[in-house]
Amino acid sequence: MPKWSLFYRCGLLALLSLVVSAPANATGLDDVLNQENSELGVGLKPAPIANDLVFLRRLSIDLIGRIPTEDEIQEYLALPKTTRRTQVVEKLLASDRFSDRWTTFFADMLRLRSNAEGGSTLIAFVHKAVEEGMPYDELCRRLISAGGKSGAVPEVGFILSDNADPLALAGITSQVFLGVRMACAECHDHPFDKWTREEFYGLAAYFGKTRRVQRRFQNRILATYTTEVDQTTVLWPPPGVGEASDRKPIAPTFPIALIKDDGKQPYLKRFAKVRASRDDLLAKVTKGKKPSGESSLDDLLSSADKRVKRRTAGDIDSGLGVLDEAKRDVEKIDVKAAGYRPSDLRQELARQVTSPRNRYFSRAFVNRVWKELVGVGFVEPIDDFSSENDFNHPQTLDYLADEFVAEGFDLRGLIRQIVGSEAYQREHAGDVDEATRLEMENAFIATPMRRMISETLYDSIVVAGHMAAVKHEAGKNMKIAWRATRVIKQPDATTPKVKPSELVKSGQPTKKMKKPVVVASSPYDLEKAIELDFDKLLKGSDSAIEVEKMMAKSAEEIEAERMLAQERRLQADYFDRYVRAEYDDNPSFNSSYRMASPAAPEHFLRVFGQPGRTELGDFRDTSASMRQQLMILNGRLTHEASRVGELEPLHRLLVGKNADLQAAIQLAYREVLTRNPSKTDLSDATEIINSADDRLAGMADLRWVLLNSNEFRFLP
Amino acid sequence: MTKSCTDYRVTRRAMLGATGAAGATLLGMPVQQLLAYAGTAGAQKAEHVILFWNGGGMTHLDTWDPKPGRPTQGEFEPIDTSAPGVQISEIFPQLAKQMHHCSLIRSIAGTQGAHGPATYNLQTSYVDAGILVHPGIGSVVAHQLERKGDLPSYISISGRARRATYLGQKCEAYYVPAPGQQDPYLSFPEGIAKVRGDRRLEVLARYNSRFAKGKGGAQLKNTQTAIDEAIGLMRSPALKAFDLDTVPTTTLNRYGDTTFGRGAILAKRLVETGVRFVQINRGGFDTHGNNFPALRAHGEVMDPALASLIEDLAETGMLKKTLVLMLSEFGRTPRVNMNAGRDHWASCFSCFMAGGGIKGGTVVGSSDKDGYQPNDRPVAVPDIHATLCNAMGIDPDTEVLTPLQRPMKLVDNGKPVGELLA
Repeated sequence: MPKWSLFYRCGLLALLSLVVSAPANATGLDDVLNQENSELGVGLKPAPIANDLVFLRRLSIDLIGRIPTEDEIQEYLALPKTTRRTQVVEKLLASDRFSDRWTTFFADMLRLRSNAEGGSTLIAFVHKAVEEGMPYDELCRRLISAGGKSGAVPEVGFILSDNADPLALAGITSQVFLGVRMACAECHDHPFDKWTREEFYGLAAYFGKTRRVQRRFQNRILATYTTEVDQTTVLWPPPGVGEASDRKPIAPTFPIALIKDDGKQPYLKRFAKVRASRDDLLAKVTKGKKPSGESSLDDLLSSADKRVKRRTAGDIDSGLGVLDEAKRDVEKIDVKAAGYRPSDLRQELARQVTSPRNRYFSRAFVNRVWKELVGVGFVEPIDDFSSENDFNHPQTLDYLADEFVAEGFDLRGLIRQIVGSEAYQREHAGDVDEATRLEMENAFIATPMRRMISETLYDSIVVAGHMAAVKHEAGKNMKIAWRATRVIKQPDATTPKVKPSELVKSGQPTKKMKKPVVVASSPYDLEKAIELDFDKLLKGSDSAIEVEKMMAKSAEEIEAERMLAQERRLQADYFDRYVRAEYDDNPSFNSSYRMASPAAPEHFLRVFGQPGRTELGDFRDTSASMRQQLMILNGRLTHEASRVGELEPLHRLLVGKNADLQAAIQLAYREVLTRNPSKTDLSDATEIINSADDRLAGMADLRWVLLNSNEFRFLP
Repeated sequence: MTKSCTDYRVTRRAMLGATGAAGATLLGMPVQQLLAYAGTAGAQKAEHVILFWNGGGMTHLDTWDPKPGRPTQGEFEPIDTSAPGVQISEIFPQLAKQMHHCSLIRSIAGTQGAHGPATYNLQTSYVDAGILVHPGIGSVVAHQLERKGDLPSYISISGRARRATYLGQKCEAYYVPAPGQQDPYLSFPEGIAKVRGDRRLEVLARYNSRFAKGKGGAQLKNTQTAIDEAIGLMRSPALKAFDLDTVPTTTLNRYGDTTFGRGAILAKRLVETGVRFVQINRGGFDTHGNNFPALRAHGEVMDPALASLIEDLAETGMLKKTLVLMLSEFGRTPRVNMNAGRDHWASCFSCFMAGGGIKGGTVVGSSDKDGYQPNDRPVAVPDIHATLCNAMGIDPDTEVLTPLQRPMKLVDNGKPVGELLA
């Protein structure tokens, strides 16, 4: 689909969703929950509603993935007491960071990986969808039914990333979108649930005619795309059952019965109304702007391929010229022919899966979002809705699910309802015994202890320590580094102009320069990462021939090249030399929500639980580990965040004629913990600061302790 | 409580159990199997593993399985070793003197001929089949055996190890980019002196315990345990093992003053402090061209290190408790190609084992006269992992649950190579 169409529509939908969304009002939700609790015989006294600052901190963490700044706190406190909570919810829902934070939610759910085929573009696409308020059902329809070329059609990355394997995709579709672990039925009838093996194959059959095709030219990937063929690969009975000759294509069948629209479900009526008005507006805007897709991408690519082959045949050099031409050919196709052959089967499946009458679809998503915000799901594990798995508060779940549908599958609307509820705004259970605490949390009348997810922890440290931009004056952090470079001795060259002491044996600095600081990124640099430019990724998608990026060299070739280079080095006479470099080490850190993800295995984010996103059901791990502690106790991130920079407001409260230690401590507490210090806190903090060499060092000590404390990383 | 595939399995077992005593289970394990393990419990078990991982696919013919007089022999001659009747390639002259401690398998019948899938297969025992990612064998050991000493159970040197996946964060390898390199996360940040750092930790403990008052749940407690473990490690004398500056020059020279040699020294020091599994990674074995000079150079690096390691471990008695293992992705084509190289060959290759729980001086299986196919006693890849587990007293058929509650065996249906077990 051409770019204008895709994003114009998304943008319009965003506009529409603002117009039609119901105003935040969670009383309905609270009523249903209270009613259900009394039916369940929950007699415990609910925990009180948390105070305004606790709410702000909790909400900021959940909605924008970081703690609030001092400015945000003051702005919030300046709002009228009766409306400030609803006002700040609206403000945060509209924030850019909301899209970043909730893209990560989708990235975990959909297992999006920057390093997968078209993965970064797909992440950028989801980001755009969240940003512009694309309804959840539409997002899923696109992911399930998209076809075309990786990069050019960003959402096709979803089908391509699992190799377009029908059985894998059936397992993913059922588990991720419907919350049903049907993949068990790949090997046997589901033991306790109703799903049979045949039903699973029937579901897989929707994907049976889709193929993943990769076109290469001289080991470079020119294009990876889906195509639809007439033959299905999904046969019944499966291998191992019966004779091979009996295996026949199985008819695609959707295993879930949709509820009837007999006029008894008011939420379906509301949904129909919301959608009709949206469609009307859409029709007006898109009139006469239909994309013109004629021949399939497959056909076009294969003719380009033939031309390449003809050229190569007469070309001994087979150098870059041919490659460039090949690139141009394929690029041209992308621009004019987005018309890939669509998959009727997958479109049909997408319709069934995302139908407002499919309760599994809305329940599964609502349950995920609820768990993310409240900490305990209606169903756990969150993707295991089965007849054997008891629902916790089914009426409340269904109320929310129906509301979600009625408002047109609007993510922001759903979040607005949840965070506006008392269930979200309560304090922790407090000093009660373990059984009572669990009972309260399961009845949603107390907030369970939740640790910030890794990205939020990272970004919160960055913002608490004023590190989004530099905080020290230029030249205040000069460091000297010895950068190692390997120099090949030229036979005729004169002796290199370095002091003899700097001429050291390979990898062995002399005594004098023991432990030189090497500026180049070290394998231990586990707290930074590559930033993704979402806009650029999507802009590139019209002519997204990512040949340079996707050097499809085989591992053997890479190894062979490496060996060759090694051999050359072994033959050459070389020496290592350390070059002295002075640099200003004035740190600043980017938002981790914009990093290529998942991060490297030993990276801060992974150590704190960012999932690898390869396995189904691989959720965020918020458990504690020794490695986490080492990284946060001794890492550069917390260290730099603790140090007080001359450019941050705290500085002038600590030194100079306007110094005010008490005000400094209060500010530090608000910036790190979003609260004012208690009397005990104040005297403790004063003692810590006074026992240090100077106030700046003392404040660094205090901030280090606060950033490392459990109070910081666990939500209030 | 969720019923899942596991319950299905138990139910089926219970049903089988009802049909006869042969199917009876105890602790989820068939009785015969339990008996079998009880029988081997008396033997000395390995407590540590040192795995040398040779990336790229090391030629079997020019190392462990020479073919003298055959057209596939290549440029090297076989030499006699301290193990009667066992010959290895001339590129390992020092190791030859230690071969009475060491064993070889010469009939591994691999199935994966490309780097990625073969690495996966040799490091996990499983064949890469898409969505479910299996843990590396080092994580399996870390999962099954208690941590010993202050250092992490599983340490990977000079390269990354496979992930622990469903075995959990605690079974991930601790990563040392290069032997001798110090992990900056083990000491206070630059500019924070010990006194100041210790004071910070002391204040932090006070703050955390005040915060924990009146709050339940395991999470806070687990965080505190993790902090205590981290501080324990930072202050542990065992960290000295990582610092190779104190290694005498004579020792360095014996092992060969190379990254690989230093890796072997580090591995030895780590297992001595109690580390369960050390993996040392090294590449450069994908010898599609110029196979012979490359292997000679590899020999010069590997031979002194490996020989000295075995000798030193044997001298202190550690070898009895330490299984030393050298694995690669696959072997290489017996036929030498036009670039004087050898290409990928998975149908038949060799591996090297020594020490804990393993009989020395043994050769299991043989390849055919040119090294193309196993001649007798074909050994499947998972059998190697099962042998490792067995040598450590771990039942390779133990099942663990994946995130989808699907039971997976620690090793993909491997059978321990009985001839090797001491």
